[in-house]
Amino acid sequence: MAMLIPYGQRVTPDDPTVSSRGLMRPRPGGRTLRLTIAALLTVWFALPLVPLLLWFFADRWSAPAVLPTEWGFDGVTSALANGAVPAFGQSLALALVVAAIATPLGAMAARALTRGAVPFPRLVSGILLAPLALPAFVAVMGLTIVLLRARVPGVVGVVILLVAAALPYTVYTMRVAYAAHDLAYEDEARTLGASRWNVLWRVHLPLVAPGLARAAFLAFLVGWSDYVITVLVGGGTIVTLPLLVASFAAGVGNDAVVAVLSVSAIVPPLVLLLALGRFGRRYPTASYLHGPTASQSPKGSP
Amino acid sequence: MSLALVSPALLVAGFVVIGGIGMSLVQSLGLLPLVGVPSLSLDAYLANGEELLIGTGLSLAIATASTVLSCIIGLTAAVVITQGRRTGRIVAAVSALTIPIPHLIGAAAIGLLISDAGIIPRMLGIPGTEWPDLVGGPWWVAVVLEYTWKESAFVALVVAAVLATRVARYDETAALLGAGRARRLRHVVIPLARPAVIVSAIIIFVYTFGSYEVAWLLGRPYPEPLPVLAFRLFDSITLTSRPEAAAVAVVTTAISLAVVAIGMACLRRTPLWK
Amino acid sequence: MSPQRRTRSGVAAAITAGLAVSLAACSAPASADDQSYANWDEVVAAAEGQTVKLWMWGGDEQGNAYVNNVLAPAAAELGVTLEQVPIADTPDALNRILSEVQSGTTDGEVDLVWVNGNNFGTGKEAGAWECGWTDLLPNMALTDPADPLLLDDFGTPVDGCEAPWHKAQFTFVYNSDTVTDVPTSLDELLDWARANPGRFTYPAPPDFTGSVFVREVLYSVSGGYENVPLAFSQADFDALTPALYDELQDLEASLWRGGETYPQDSNELNQLFADGEVDFTMTYGPATLTELVANGTYPAGTKVLTFDEGTVGNASFLGLASTSGSKAGAMVVANLALSAEQQAAKAEPSVWGQFTVLDLDQLSDEQRALFEALPESPVVPSYDVLSENANPELAAAWVGPIDEAWRQLVLTQ
Repeated sequence: MAMLIPYGQRVTPDDPTVSSRGLMRPRPGGRTLRLTIAALLTVWFALPLVPLLLWFFADRWSAPAVLPTEWGFDGVTSALANGAVPAFGQSLALALVVAAIATPLGAMAARALTRGAVPFPRLVSGILLAPLALPAFVAVMGLTIVLLRARVPGVVGVVILLVAAALPYTVYTMRVAYAAHDLAYEDEARTLGASRWNVLWRVHLPLVAPGLARAAFLAFLVGWSDYVITVLVGGGTIVTLPLLVASFAAGVGNDAVVAVLSVSAIVPPLVLLLALGRFGRRYPTASYLHGPTASQSPKGSP
Repeated sequence: MSLALVSPALLVAGFVVIGGIGMSLVQSLGLLPLVGVPSLSLDAYLANGEELLIGTGLSLAIATASTVLSCIIGLTAAVVITQGRRTGRIVAAVSALTIPIPHLIGAAAIGLLISDAGIIPRMLGIPGTEWPDLVGGPWWVAVVLEYTWKESAFVALVVAAVLATRVARYDETAALLGAGRARRLRHVVIPLARPAVIVSAIIIFVYTFGSYEVAWLLGRPYPEPLPVLAFRLFDSITLTSRPEAAAVAVVTTAISLAVVAIGMACLRRTPLWK
Repeated sequence: MSPQRRTRSGVAAAITAGLAVSLAACSAPASADDQSYANWDEVVAAAEGQTVKLWMWGGDEQGNAYVNNVLAPAAAELGVTLEQVPIADTPDALNRILSEVQSGTTDGEVDLVWVNGNNFGTGKEAGAWECGWTDLLPNMALTDPADPLLLDDFGTPVDGCEAPWHKAQFTFVYNSDTVTDVPTSLDELLDWARANPGRFTYPAPPDFTGSVFVREVLYSVSGGYENVPLAFSQADFDALTPALYDELQDLEASLWRGGETYPQDSNELNQLFADGEVDFTMTYGPATLTELVANGTYPAGTKVLTFDEGTVGNASFLGLASTSGSKAGAMVVANLALSAEQQAAKAEPSVWGQFTVLDLDQLSDEQRALFEALPESPVVPSYDVLSENANPELAAAWVGPIDEAWRQLVLTQ
């Protein structure tokens, strides 16, 4: 579950001002080395995706053929016939619910901690970050019995555990956001006569919106990619994509279906990630929150 | 007011963390058997003593290897991302692509790629018997590779974010003062990245130490990493083995917490940690 | 109390809440919800509108498709919603029920489980199953009341705790393109493995298939299943198993990867066979072979191996969880699954190809015609051929000790 997106505005600060600085201009020898390293890194990150893409389109791929012997969409047909659509829907619902709960909880806790009014702040932040240090299977093995005896429905149990797993990410992300957040704007709005509610909706939330979006994305990923908690605590009440993948991966000859399910499990977070990049770049107020190198201008114009 | 803001999150996290550890402890001490009368004992810890020791060693080794490799590759990628122009953007894009892939799927993909009959040996025309035992082999190579693949992207993104906001200024100053590329890397980039690398390393170590799916899918039946051992005991049809699974869970948690404590101590000693 | 102290105690309360809630929850009493039915009509009436969750191993695409596309629509016509819960391993379901039993749940997540053998025996011992309900099912009349496979499940008396669903025959599979001197007994198979190092292996117990293989070897080294008492006793274990482990240790060097490791489950072995890494695989579900050869997963030369001394056969069942809140619905589904129409549809190789548990002599001509119309598979012989000289399964109590000793004496050595 360890995953994070950057807190800076963009992943690639290809700010023209950086590269045009005369002193920083790369020398030819260093350039070859850098290109080689970059190429190796690209292969390193992209290579494992190749088998999934090949299997996606493979109707028939008997060993020891190097490439599929028949191409087609049997895997898609088969995945659709075996509940891929409902599983996709349940994954999406679960991830959205986890994000919808963990983000405000994390934001509230982060705000309180940043303002420094919480007693035992180190202990409190410790507990909020502790789910990172607790292996998922420990929480599951310990709590299954508790949740059953407390008659907590399976779905609710899954959501509770996943929200806890997402909290370290949302709390941390929002602490970073609030650290850069200038309370003076809120005070000023209050002085100008805005109501509490208005300040929250018109000033406070817009100012931290990029942080909220990042936190929500991370919480979404936690819910989206979980396997252990959903299978053991959910007790089969929800069948998400990872469960379907695991179940198909447990039988021989299912590689095409596994590939189709896998690709469909990768696409939604990627779309969100792209949307998040654009959102962060376009959102006007975001400029208050970031360092000097995070350019706000559209690509090309300085 | 502050307490009201923090308590919902605290309740959920506290319930899962304290409840999870507490109930694992209670079960491991034989106080909550599936059938039969509760009785306090350490039997569950002693029943698999040797496997517990071997599993701890193996899990530590896998987690250490994955963490070190992830940090080296991830830091390199972060430097390329922040310093290169087009190359940096390409590396940033492919590493970002890796981030949302669930580990379970990553494991399936790595298996298809480098198992004895995987795509790489097929393309190279190497028969399975001559291809090294990467999947299910004695060195757990496929497991470490999967973790390193996913987590190096994680390191790259976290560190690149830090470098992007800070490094340009310092790096330029250092260049103005006449520092060469290697010296700038050593004296500017790496110290700036250090806190982010340490935080990432802690997260990666604890995750890979306690994660089940990848080690099971790409591993071998013996020896078993701690989470795999715990799951085998938990799923065992022998009714007495549930407390034994809980005992493995308690040991895993204790080690994880110790690692976090050590990591945080390292972090406090870095000058840039605020 | 000062505000400061109040906040502090508030934090303390919040922190301890986790543990307190956990412990308090454990004492929640169970409310008894008795569902007993005097006759079938009452069951059918009570079943109307219920939702039944069938937990079953989901790694078999055909099995999933049969349940979702054939069985579930038929159940819907009877007013019962059938939902399949695909799981990676049957003990997941058992663990779930046992947790529910422990907590006194009466409306659990599990209604039916596709189960047999050790999982059934262990579950029965711990009260996981509802018992004595199969007599109510009208379609039980279509089975042979004296069929030993349906009376005992791995030595555990069935006692109406589970309704029969399929029959299975442990089957060895080989690639006839590479294996020319075909073994005709398990002993010959092991000799073949020694003569062809690296081309044979078996899954590591406690994997179900690997566990059966080890018991087959036990029969073989003991001179036939007749010489192994089905009921477990430590004395028999001590007397019979040294020969078993000697044989397996001796075999080890000739196995895939020199026996320094084993496939973790039957799926890994099947994958090795599909990839041409080994020449044999083994399965308790030979029905899927036809499809796996047809779609190119398995080599075209895949054939079933039959042994002179026979192999182990068993039946698998639908267990009804004692914690189910939809017992009537579950019974209706179990009865439906036993109908001649469903059993014949399921036996169709292109559907699932599972062998029927029905006794063809008990069927009407019309019903029998359904089975006679089934096509023959080019890969898998008929059940009559496969089940010739079928060996009985050892009692479930044997399984744990044999698997555990295998880990100690073979795997870790």
